Amino acid sequence: MSQIRTWEVFARQRYDEPLHHVGAVREDDEELALVSARSIYDEQPWIHMVIVPRDQLREAIAA
Amino acid sequence: MSTSIETQPSDLSAPARDALTEMIASLADTKAALGRRYGEWAVSAPTLESGVAAAAMAQDELGHARSTYPLLTQLGVGSENEDRMDVQSSIPLLAQPLADWETFIAVNLIYDQMLTEFVSAATDSSFRPLAQRARKILQEEGSHQTHAAAWARRLLRDDRHADRFMGACTAVWEVAAQWPGDNDRYALLVGDSLVTGSPDVHRAAVCEHAASVARDAGCMLDLDTR
Repeated sequence: MSQIRTWEVFARQRYDEPLHHVGAVREDDEELALVSARSIYDEQPWIHMVIVPRDQLREAIAA
Repeated sequence: MSTSIETQPSDLSAPARDALTEMIASLADTKAALGRRYGEWAVSAPTLESGVAAAAMAQDELGHARSTYPLLTQLGVGSENEDRMDVQSSIPLLAQPLADWETFIAVNLIYDQMLTEFVSAATDSSFRPLAQRARKILQEEGSHQTHAAAWARRLLRDDRHADRFMGACTAVWEVAAQWPGDNDRYALLVGDSLVTGSPDVHRAAVCEHAASVARDAGCMLDLDTR
């Protein structure tokens, strides 16, 4: 298997609210990561969901 | 939006009604069997993510079966079986648990896609209840195709899984290719605008879909369309 990446998942329920971090999925393939995000984080009626590779996030203020 | 004239079951000739009943019953039974087989992998898929996806696809397939069975009642048969779950599928491939994850993905990529080809051909059916269900089913099948294609590419790029997966695809295709039946019987449905296409068209589309996924992974998958 190729290298597994962690993808952070963000979603919102209304257009007038910001995207919230709702969790993460681990997949090596972007398409699979999208399927997994929709399957796993389906407990709310989201209108918008995005995923971002964790290794592409940049810290503006380090924890 | 469909512009076709609505067909009532009573308008159909006996052979056309029988052919439609047979196809819808086969679709519902196969989806019920697929749902059961997918569901078994919810607890044994190779990753937690794919286990959740297997469970979600199982729920979809069982839901499709449940919403398709009532069409048989409208066609005048099967009212006592409206909520049945086909646990003894007449399709040998689906009568037993799927042997391994490679077989699961081959079924997901090829067999599931064959059903989806038929469903796509029914979205403008003159039998309106079938068209309505077909459009709803198609909305949910997109994620199944995405899952199958992504996992197929992953298996084909891995030397430890590629040969077994290619073998599983060939074995699944032998069964899936039979599903739409023969062209003459299917033509009865096309004649009444109940569906479009033909079994040969559906077989060719599934072959091309699988071959395209394999090409993406740098492999040749040449399924026999005869």
